[in-house]
Amino acid sequence: VQKKVLIVDDSPSQVRLIQGLLQPEGYDSIGLNDPKRIEELITREGPNVILLDVVMPERNGFQVCRELKNNAKFNGIPVILVTSKDTPSDRYWGEQQGADDYVTKPFTREELLRAVRRFA
Amino acid sequence: LPNFNVLILTDETEFARLLTACWQAERQAPAITVLASDLWKEHKETPHDLVVVGPLLDVKVSEVLGALDPACAAILCAPADSRELGQLRSRYPRLVHIPLREDWAQTLLLVAGESLRRTEALRLARQAENNAARNEHCATLGRYMIDMKHSVNNALTSMLGNAELLLLEPGQLSQQSLAQIKTIHSMALRINEIMQRFSSLASEMREAENASQAETQVVTPSEFQRR
Repeated sequence: VQKKVLIVDDSPSQVRLIQGLLQPEGYDSIGLNDPKRIEELITREGPNVILLDVVMPERNGFQVCRELKNNAKFNGIPVILVTSKDTPSDRYWGEQQGADDYVTKPFTREELLRAVRRFA
Repeated sequence: LPNFNVLILTDETEFARLLTACWQAERQAPAITVLASDLWKEHKETPHDLVVVGPLLDVKVSEVLGALDPACAAILCAPADSRELGQLRSRYPRLVHIPLREDWAQTLLLVAGESLRRTEALRLARQAENNAARNEHCATLGRYMIDMKHSVNNALTSMLGNAELLLLEPGQLSQQSLAQIKTIHSMALRINEIMQRFSSLASEMREAENASQAETQVVTPSEFQRR
């Protein structure tokens, strides 16, 4: 059974890139550019892991992560924050929101796959 | 006090002798220069922290005060009924007047000490302001670098990732294309290393900003004395 990965990033090119990196490894990836629709997509697709950008308009990745982890319906799904925010305080803040892992941009293919393989 | 330069400007030798002797009898004395008005005309550009103006013959007090650096403190020893005094005070609000009475020398030492401490406080304040301005420039640059880093990192992610995607299927590329993509990939990694160094620099600049804020904190008089 293919593992599903939900990629949430406001940049379509970043979503396409991550999809391209995961596809050869056998992952079924779903891209989402609008973080406001994440709950709807999770309910419909049932992903095994979520790759979540942080800097997004209207609803940032920290907020999304916090809300998912506070929702009993979704809090079992691992969330990996994938972001260019790379200071120790950003990482700490990400952990405080309940993120399961943290990948900083720019990442290598291997770094991304290592994080995803931990959960799916 | 030992780090301060005090000029005693007077044409009355006894005034200068008495004041110098009183100062030197103190536990700490500043560096003292005594000049008569004729010599002062030749050396009036020399900076001092404090000028004590005693009785003069060849030069007007207003001329002396007009030639002083704005940062220089001035004490005028003159009889309390001096006709010039009112005008001088209105033109030079920082001028301190010590009436020439019996205890003038002791009063002058006390006032001079306070004037010099005030001069030092102003100097430190100016220095702190300059440091704060310099650090603020660094902090602005640091903040700009942090903002830019986000955009650069996103662009680098695309460069690095797409190069890696192309390298996943090297058989579909010519040798030349393969070599060029490898170059793009290694250069993207190199830019990433450089950005990491900028991050360290940005952190240092943020620390400089914090230091600047600490330096410009309000200092209580007792703390200032202790320093």
